[in-house]
Amino acid sequence: MTATATTPRVPVSRDPRVSRLTRVTGSPVLRLIVKRLLMAVPIMLGVTILTFWVLSLIPGNAAEQLLGAEATPEDVALLERQLGLDQPGVVRYLEWLQGAVTGDLGNSIVSRQPVSDVLADRLPVTGELVLLAFLISLVLAIPVALLAAHKPGGIMDRISMVVSTLGLSVANYVLALILVLVFAVTLGWLPAIGYVPLEDGLWANLEAMILPSAAIGFPLFCFYTRFLRGDLVDQMQQEEYVTTARAKGVGSWSVLIKHAFRNSSFGLITVVGLNLGALIGGTVIIEQIFALPGIGQMLLQAINTRDFVVVQAAVVIFALVAVVANLVVDLLYAVLDPRIRYGSR
Amino acid sequence: MAVVEPAPSFAIGPEIDEAEAKAGIRGRRRGGNLGTWIPAGLIAFVVIACFLGPTLLSLPSPVGGNILESNQPAFSPGHFLGTDPNGNDILSRLLNGGQSSLWIALAVNILGLVIGGTLGALSGYVGGVADTLIMRVLDVLIAFPSLVLTLAVAQALGPSMTNTIFALAFFSIPAFARVARSAVLRLREMPFMAAAKLAGTPAWRMLFKHLAPNIAPQLITFGMLGMGIVIIIEGALSFLGLGIPDPAPSWGNMVATGQLSLSATPMLVVWPSVALLVTVLAFNLLGENLRARWSGR
Repeated sequence: MTATATTPRVPVSRDPRVSRLTRVTGSPVLRLIVKRLLMAVPIMLGVTILTFWVLSLIPGNAAEQLLGAEATPEDVALLERQLGLDQPGVVRYLEWLQGAVTGDLGNSIVSRQPVSDVLADRLPVTGELVLLAFLISLVLAIPVALLAAHKPGGIMDRISMVVSTLGLSVANYVLALILVLVFAVTLGWLPAIGYVPLEDGLWANLEAMILPSAAIGFPLFCFYTRFLRGDLVDQMQQEEYVTTARAKGVGSWSVLIKHAFRNSSFGLITVVGLNLGALIGGTVIIEQIFALPGIGQMLLQAINTRDFVVVQAAVVIFALVAVVANLVVDLLYAVLDPRIRYGSR
Repeated sequence: MAVVEPAPSFAIGPEIDEAEAKAGIRGRRRGGNLGTWIPAGLIAFVVIACFLGPTLLSLPSPVGGNILESNQPAFSPGHFLGTDPNGNDILSRLLNGGQSSLWIALAVNILGLVIGGTLGALSGYVGGVADTLIMRVLDVLIAFPSLVLTLAVAQALGPSMTNTIFALAFFSIPAFARVARSAVLRLREMPFMAAAKLAGTPAWRMLFKHLAPNIAPQLITFGMLGMGIVIIIEGALSFLGLGIPDPAPSWGNMVATGQLSLSATPMLVVWPSVALLVTVLAFNLLGENLRARWSGR
């Protein structure tokens, strides 16, 4: 790939990935932000259109569901008109989009509650679950990966490899039940199911959240450990700065933590960001098992009652989290990596 | 680097990255071919047990058991692993349930591999606007919380094997497409491609005769990891009652029914869990090993 033969007045980046838009705008970080935001918009639009389309393919609607099997076709038609379900899909989508852009996600068809109110109740639960899962996984993964990478092929390395391979092969619903069996049923240390709001005490709340977040966090821990360990070993074996640091007489732990880990943390940030989308989808089944009143539980209920307004909102939230996480990862890169910060590439 | 290519993976389950393949180098040196043959043998064992086991061992039917024979312990006469609360033979349910898990995983991965592989290869080979367009559409699918939609579709169409397969296959396409595309981008610069092009080979022939055989190993390797992922997701759907419909057995719905009496009869959960773990582990090990091999380091 060669740079195009133009005669630019501004210094042109030779990188073909840098678009014309970004050449004219100022700071490299700013133009990256603009570019990524612009890319996120069509993705979100695509996701919402796709959801709307798929949900419209599904036979049966909330009107039939609400009235039950006894309802006459006239009753159903009347309720459909009241709920706006008789409009063509395109019209309904545009109306929905108009509201969504201004933060109004509509009212639940079943409970008539504004969806944004329902979300406000349930988002904190799912948010806490995800946050704790990340916390558990990273707090464990970083030291374990460092220990393993310090002596590749050593005893710590082998143990961590076996554990993480197993952990990556176990389904989270199975893991959740094993945890319940051991810590709730057999040992009786923690409650098996149920949710305690934060207002009822921090400890009571944490007690209820430990098992569910561990069920999500453990496979993540395995994944991060493997990833970080692999990256660290690569850095230690192949990178010249490691050789330089060693030649200067820097201790092996010091090289590992201060030099190699600093570089590997970039990769880890990426992976964590990309995981977030998949992770939040995984909360659906865990919330169901532990009876946590989060987004996932709301979604399953909404699917059962054909409350597509709520389903649509949940999908948008999930997709938004995934897209925003990607965006944040890119921006973190820009902030942390001097090569991007100063626009040298 | 500003633009980070997401690791190819289905939207749920363990994500994979190239750095992991590097971690496998040592294992290959130590174990030689064993790292491939042991998981492959394990998979063969699971497949044979699930598909031939019920006939060879002349097991009772997995459904319609006698309620008088419910909850028998393991090793009781006629029921090697005992019976569930409905009096059905657990071993029979386990093996018959495995059949559907394996069928679904195979069908989903073949569909994903063929459709996603073709799209990705085309996208990478043609490049330009078509590439951008295809990849942006796939970005939408990747950002999409696929389990959510699968749940909605499964619930609406009524849980069935075909519906599960189509729903899951749809969302495995972008992952395969990404793998195929990056493989093609690497191959495009190879001398043999230039030679073939100079010889006037038409595009379709380039794709099927030159590119396809070269990207197939990578796609199949990714498919091995995909098998594990799909088995887990299928289990999740059945667990939520949206996969294989009751009373037909599946590992997922066996775990779900066992969960109801977890403290009294934990073995009801343990057996299908072990089956899930062993099968997924074998596919993951095989996939990892093949990948370390193909990455050629």
